[in-house]
Amino acid sequence: MLNSINPTMKAVTIFVPGLLLAFVFDPFTPFVYLIFTIAMTFLLSDLSLKRWLLIFTPFVFVALSFSWMTMLYSSDTFSDGRILFSFWWFEVTEGALMVALSLGLRSLCLVALSLMFVLTTDSTKFMLSLMQQAKLPPKLTFGILAGYRFLPTFKHEMEVLRQAHKIRGVGRAKGIKGRIQQFRRYAIPLLANAIRKAERVAVAMESKGFTGSTERSHYHKMTVRKRDWVFLSAFVFVFFATVFASYMFGYLNIFGRQF
Amino acid sequence: MSNAWKLREIVLMSILGVVFGVIYLMFYFFGQGLRNVLAPFGLGPFGYEVIFGIWFIVSIITAYIIRKPGAALISETIAATIQVLIGSPAGPRLILSGLIQGLGAEVVFAATRWKNYNLSVLVLAGVSAAIFSFVWGWFISGFAALSTSMVLAMFIVRCISGALLAGLLGKWISDQLANTGVLRSYALGKEWQAKREQKAS
Repeated sequence: MLNSINPTMKAVTIFVPGLLLAFVFDPFTPFVYLIFTIAMTFLLSDLSLKRWLLIFTPFVFVALSFSWMTMLYSSDTFSDGRILFSFWWFEVTEGALMVALSLGLRSLCLVALSLMFVLTTDSTKFMLSLMQQAKLPPKLTFGILAGYRFLPTFKHEMEVLRQAHKIRGVGRAKGIKGRIQQFRRYAIPLLANAIRKAERVAVAMESKGFTGSTERSHYHKMTVRKRDWVFLSAFVFVFFATVFASYMFGYLNIFGRQF
Repeated sequence: MSNAWKLREIVLMSILGVVFGVIYLMFYFFGQGLRNVLAPFGLGPFGYEVIFGIWFIVSIITAYIIRKPGAALISETIAATIQVLIGSPAGPRLILSGLIQGLGAEVVFAATRWKNYNLSVLVLAGVSAAIFSFVWGWFISGFAALSTSMVLAMFIVRCISGALLAGLLGKWISDQLANTGVLRSYALGKEWQAKREQKAS
């Protein structure tokens, strides 16, 4: 079901709570929303839990590292409450711990939302939907799609370059200066080739009668249906419900102001 | 110079966006490595601040090569979109980040009415992108919870990174590309050609 939601609508669905979460500085709200997002991800799609965990787990460590820094260097607004423990020159207060937890959970929440999008969206369909629903100019859309299709060939070109260097006796670089030289030897030809490709694609598009007019027909028609709206409103609704619940329990904290 | 975009310029911009989208994603993982080294000291996020400038480089390169209004803004947004397409864990929110960073660079070019593209303008564009992205990061990552000195240190590191890795490196790469001759039909290549002819005569 997640796979068949209109990609643009799905992107908006992830945008809105993602932005609103930035206002909240208590651990409760992002925690509840994180659970909700993960539950929705697995209820509405047949993603394998193993694959999801493989991608998600590294971010737990990222979140921990961010929390750690926040806890040690939290601003005065948040470092109130009694001191929990101190070491070296750091003093960790209750408030600092709470805001650290909140920011860590927030970043995990954003990752979970993103994964829900990334793992269930076909990239071509996303571009086509951006053109048809978000009114992205066709010139740009097809330019990006063409570039996207070139990605696998870059890997091949890289290999060719490497072999060309090898056969001419240019070995691996040593030292910083050598590294910079090596970077230049690879980056400039690769980019130059990309630019040549861009030129060829543009000529090919024009010669096949592509005008870039928005009054065009589409082979793959992307539509927004009722359930796309239901999906969007459900996510926004649950966000506000969570905020309300956290207000009722007395946890809610918006930019350091306790409610 | 006319301000209307030609199809070949649009396609070039798209493809540069695609190429750098991939590079950005690689740096994302590189930054994660740096961060793991710094994390025990509670300085993890500095791993990203040091290399943050690289994420603005496509706006500098594209604006410098094509020299049309919107080049910096749109190319950066495309690069962000591509990262989403390849599957960056940062997700669609990244498109907004890209838009804001591109806007930061675009503002500087707009201030020169898209006429001046010398080194100082390019460096300034890199710094401006850093400032814009920092304000955005302050909001979305909750820097408000960090102490002022820490936020200030992060801000300064990011600005320097923007100046060097986006402004300076971006100009260097574009000049190297112009040297190969592939840019002949774009603004930078034309300027290059004119200079060469002047030298010859």
